[in-house]
Amino acid sequence: MSNFFQLIRNEHMKLYSQKATWIMAAILVVLVIGMGGLFKIDEAITGGEVPTGDNWKEELQQQNEQLMSQEGQAQEVAYPGYTNVEENQYRIENDLPPTEYNAWDFVRDNRGFVALVSLFTIIVAAGITANEFRWGTIKLLLIRPISRTKILLAKYVSVVIYALTMLVLLYVLSFIIGVIFFGMDSFSQTYVYNQAGEIKDAGIFAFTVSQYMLSFVELIMMATFAFMIASVFRNTSLAIGLAIFLMMAGSSIVLFFMNKEWAKYILFANTDLTQFMEGTPMVADLTLGFSITVIAVYYLVFLLLSWFFFTKSDVAGS
Amino acid sequence: MTEPVMKLKNVKKTIGKKEIIKGLNFDIYGGEVFGFLGPNGAGKTTTIRMMVGLMNMSAGDVLIKGRSINKEFKEAIRHVGGIVENPEMYPFMSGWKNLVHYARMMPDITEERIIQVVRLVGLENRIKEKVGKYSLGMRQRLGIAQALLHNPSVLILDEPTNGLDPSGIREIRAYIRELAEEEGVAVIVSSHILSEMEMMCDRIGIIKNGELIAIQSVTDALQQTDEKEVSIEAAPVDEAKAALQELTGRNVQLNGNVLTFTIEKEMIPKVVTDLVHKQIQIYGVHANRSTLEDKFLDLIGEGVIE
Ligand SMILES: Nc1ncnc2c1ncn2[C@@H]1O[C@H](COP(=O)(O)OP(=O)(O)O)[C@@H](O)[C@H]1O
Ligand SMILES: [Mg+2]
Repeated sequence: MSNFFQLIRNEHMKLYSQKATWIMAAILVVLVIGMGGLFKIDEAITGGEVPTGDNWKEELQQQNEQLMSQEGQAQEVAYPGYTNVEENQYRIENDLPPTEYNAWDFVRDNRGFVALVSLFTIIVAAGITANEFRWGTIKLLLIRPISRTKILLAKYVSVVIYALTMLVLLYVLSFIIGVIFFGMDSFSQTYVYNQAGEIKDAGIFAFTVSQYMLSFVELIMMATFAFMIASVFRNTSLAIGLAIFLMMAGSSIVLFFMNKEWAKYILFANTDLTQFMEGTPMVADLTLGFSITVIAVYYLVFLLLSWFFFTKSDVAGS
Repeated sequence: MTEPVMKLKNVKKTIGKKEIIKGLNFDIYGGEVFGFLGPNGAGKTTTIRMMVGLMNMSAGDVLIKGRSINKEFKEAIRHVGGIVENPEMYPFMSGWKNLVHYARMMPDITEERIIQVVRLVGLENRIKEKVGKYSLGMRQRLGIAQALLHNPSVLILDEPTNGLDPSGIREIRAYIRELAEEEGVAVIVSSHILSEMEMMCDRIGIIKNGELIAIQSVTDALQQTDEKEVSIEAAPVDEAKAALQELTGRNVQLNGNVLTFTIEKEMIPKVVTDLVHKQIQIYGVHANRSTLEDKFLDLIGEGVIE
């Protein structure tokens, strides 16, 4: 076990000795700060008059009436979107006053950057085995009194740690930048949302954390896919290319086959677990339990293939 | 006789339909430098990859201190240090970090031991620099340092002199001899250059097309062969011939104005000096290959070693 910890240390040493790793982190930091600046400058994104005064209930009621009178017309979605009749009604009934755009909203918006974290994690996952082959260092790595299984596992665990680190960086940085630019309401702010037609509320901290964690599932699946391709074909670019292609094309693939009986078995129909939290699932008759099962099966297959090829194949000349 | 440190038993490798290694059998003992000699493509690297478990064997086994590399990989490999083909290290890390990396993968390697191997290969002054800035010779030395960290019983070096200048080659030769003689390490060195092998090995196994075609003890061979065939281009050629016959007491052959004869290597300078004293003009002196070289080339076929 102790040498497993040493292997993890080694992977981290190699990862953080490479410039690319720091450049990726810097890109994320710059983009989050830039996004904050943009939102700060362009009120249209974060604007929308938010009724926060003492008579917020009446104002919301008025807004609802106005919204209902334009029923049928395309509604312009203004941020933070107190344009939803049911949500406004829910706020009035449950005595939950709306809040102005603040750090929490910024954290929630920046969940979009998880795609960027996915991209970076794919690059790391693809490189962590395939680069050793490209550099030729695999030969010195595998002639040690440590099984190939353990070496591979240490690499995989390091990828997961990297992904978590970047995700925490994104969350914490978004929060800090959000507080600086937009201020914060309170830690116990309540978030009102629509889940498959039903209006619910939740503490904003718990809600954002669980959303980030759920995005993590999709991220890890794509990273594991890249890791598998890299272990099987020992080619960094191929693994990065395929994984990014699937990440981009995933939902199109699902849409394309949506009417097929087997559409629900496509990995990408299931990976976005946030669809069970907010909004409506892509493919009908999907349940959380079903999606988790499908994801778990794909996950095991990916790991098994990685393991099989990494441990059984010859390390032959390049 | 003592137990061999490494034993190859009918090792075979087939890739696709092609049998690349056709049943190798040989033993290597502690304290000896074993040369693995063969032309490019003979199967040296493939054999070494199987010795260290990077490649699966199609048949046979390799025993290291009695442990099978196939069945008891960890127990077998812990006695082995090596470089397979080029000494490839992480170019973006310092030499020191590269060594720390490998040290962490083996039990009980202290920082003192790392410092010790760095000194042994003479990299103290450059060890904090990134490997990307190292010359091939320095990487070769770092490769050796890495292979020695855990005091292996067997050291395997695949073409360690590749791309090195003559002084680098001399240094490597010195390390290797010292390790074998003073630490009792069994050293396996592969090469396609016979003259290098002759200078550093105790025994040489010749591999050709995946088959071991001879094992020759170098010391024996050298004792029989400290004679060289020498060609001298001189004028006037008849006078030179007469003088040479007198000096060497041997048969001298004349070919154009080149005189050819066999003589002990140590005698060559004396013969040349004597000719000069006799006012003979010398245009060229060439020591042809030794009888050991003849023997190897006969075995593997002329011109195959490139
Ligand atoms: N992965 C491979 N697939 C097919 N043939 C290979 C492979 N690796 C090596 N060979 C063949 O095996 C032979 C021996 O190669 P190698 O062991 O590299 O020779 P050496 O190290 O003696 O130069 C060569 O003919 C080479 O073409
Ligand atoms: Mg070779």
